Amino acid sequence: MSPFLRRTRAMALKEFRHMARDPQVVLLALAMPLVLILVFGYGVSFDVEHVPLAVVDQDRTAESRAFARAFSAAGTFDVVATPDDPRAVEPLFRQSLARAALIIPEGFTRARARGEAATAQMLVDGSDNATATIALGYGDAIGLTLAQAELPRGLSAPLEARVRTMFNPSLRSAVFIVPGLIVLVLVIVSVMLTALTVAREYEQGSMEQLFSTPVGRLEIILGKLAPYFLLGLVQVLLVLVVGVTLFDVPLRGSVGLIFLAASIFLLGELTYGLVISIITRSQMVAAQIAAISTFLPALILSDFIFPIDNMPPPLRFVSSLLPPRYLVHALRSIMLRGNGLETIVSDLLPMAGFFAVMLLIATRRFRRTVA
Amino acid sequence: MTGAAHAPALEARGLRRRLGITDAVAGLDLTVRPGELYGLVGPDGAGKTTALRLLVGLLVPDAGEARVDGVSVMSGGPALREALGYMPQQFSLYGDLSVAENMRFFADLFGLAPAIFRQREAELMQLTRLDRFRDRRASALSGGMYKKLALSCALLHRPRVLVLDEPTNGVDPVSRRELWDLLYQLVDEGLAVLLATPYMDEAARCHRVGLMYAGKLLAEDTPAALVKGFDDVTWLVHLSDAADPGARDAAEARLRERPEVRALSPQGGGLRVVVDRAGDAEFRRYFAAADAHWRLSPVAPDFEDVFLRLVTHAS
Ligand SMILES: Nc1ncnc2c1ncn2[C@@H]1O[C@H](COP(=O)(O)OP(=O)(O)O)[C@@H](O)[C@H]1O
Ligand SMILES: [Mg+2]
Repeated sequence: MSPFLRRTRAMALKEFRHMARDPQVVLLALAMPLVLILVFGYGVSFDVEHVPLAVVDQDRTAESRAFARAFSAAGTFDVVATPDDPRAVEPLFRQSLARAALIIPEGFTRARARGEAATAQMLVDGSDNATATIALGYGDAIGLTLAQAELPRGLSAPLEARVRTMFNPSLRSAVFIVPGLIVLVLVIVSVMLTALTVAREYEQGSMEQLFSTPVGRLEIILGKLAPYFLLGLVQVLLVLVVGVTLFDVPLRGSVGLIFLAASIFLLGELTYGLVISIITRSQMVAAQIAAISTFLPALILSDFIFPIDNMPPPLRFVSSLLPPRYLVHALRSIMLRGNGLETIVSDLLPMAGFFAVMLLIATRRFRRTVA
Repeated sequence: MTGAAHAPALEARGLRRRLGITDAVAGLDLTVRPGELYGLVGPDGAGKTTALRLLVGLLVPDAGEARVDGVSVMSGGPALREALGYMPQQFSLYGDLSVAENMRFFADLFGLAPAIFRQREAELMQLTRLDRFRDRRASALSGGMYKKLALSCALLHRPRVLVLDEPTNGVDPVSRRELWDLLYQLVDEGLAVLLATPYMDEAARCHRVGLMYAGKLLAEDTPAALVKGFDDVTWLVHLSDAADPGARDAAEARLRERPEVRALSPQGGGLRVVVDRAGDAEFRRYFAAADAHWRLSPVAPDFEDVFLRLVTHAS
């Protein structure tokens, strides 16, 4: 074995022992993905259900009643009030008794019978933005479904929903969340751990001993990456298994490809953690910088929760410099659409570039001195 | 490389290094030859640790150069690291790794073949009597055992130059003696050893001593020659009311005011006083008239007197 490999392996083995002998670290690393996926999967579910709905049926026909029933049947909406006057809706919204209102105008059935476009109105409490958007989407879909179901009879014209959204209500949100969650889990735990490791050696004095040996900077860096890299892959596996078994997340593409993309992402992020550690030389400072500088981009600039398309250009530009959005995109592409390597190369390359830049900075800024 | 045989094993030339607002090392020259045990002695803050770090290349000097076997430590690669063994002042091994794991780790970094490692490990374990603690975590070792382990890790690769920063700090007297025996044995085998210590009694055991203070060497010679060159008079002042700490403080304050008193330190129940030879008669006259509770007896100067005298002179 070459001296390079031998020293790198010795570093990796040592680092692995530090990790394995700190049960809290391992526990945190494995519990974190579980907690997050359960919280995001169940708790902060983006699936909207039981939205309190007020129905104002001014048409008062069998058909209009059937239409209103279709809304409450899916479980998305619960009819909580049936006022006669549309003006009663606003007070209901104000008291938070209703979040949405369906207003079926007089003449609705007659218009449909004549083959004209029949328009029902959907009002949504816009103060809860996420629910509003999603509720509108559902309302839209229910209306369309109803219309389509009637089309073959050739009797009625399509219903028209007033507001259209981009949201696809048939898409369950856990499916959409898993890729973003993988990114979140990896940056929260792994970057934090590598950000601590070099600083710890400076603070505990072992760096002085380490630098008095022939070990090279690249050997130290690669050795330190190895155990946390493996830990990260275990986390990915954990999220995938839970996502697939508990939330029916589809795995349309290759699992190998998922791990390839996650690996490249991990290497870049872990090395970024080392860069923080090498520059700060303080566990306290490194932990804070790691937490802020990785968590926020992973949450906000990854397309995980907030669509990048809707962002102002400066934010969009920043997000294009950071790896999270590329992994989210690649994972969605592989998992949900079953795409192959050729379609995600454009995501892998920027992540690999980030890794290369971080590795360069880490080795350059790593000084063999103690003050 | 014919010159290498004649070159000192370790050499400092005009080393300077500022840390913050302190000139931690302010112009240091010294050489350590193979088979020599050199002691860098000085109080806390003298700049010993900084000097040692400069000498092993862990700090970049502001000026000057450190050399190992004639090669600058700043330009030297792995070959230079293999020539050097360094034991820092602070705890610097891995506390969560066992004794054996720490040794194995450093052996791997120095690229020792497994068979050679096993042989040297056995040797060192026996020499330091660490074998009973093979599987104990380094953080759970006593001060003495820890230092022996650190020394073993620094010796595994058979360096030609050994640099030790306060190797007996926090070590019980028995282990201390064992460490010194080990050092003499290594030096006899031709190793060049540079050690830093604040203890004068330890300095007296070195072949050569550099007295360091405020980043500079105040004097450098063999311990015997340093004591021999000492030209002042040393007295021991016995205080009959020594049990009262107030009385001793008062005596110390009064004696310090005397212009002929060069240095003063507590010893036993009394005070050890270094007096300028020219002012010795004056001191005795003053003393006879001073205080009925005091008694004066002559003592032979030792290494500590030399050091205290030099430090007082320098500051
Ligand atoms: N990192 C540092 N920053 C500022 N001053 C320092 C630093 N390290 C040491 N010093 C100062 O340099 C001087 C020499 O310190 P040091 O070499 O540790 O002395 P010694 O080992 O003899 O006790 C001291 O005055 C100390 O306060
Ligand atoms: Mg020191």
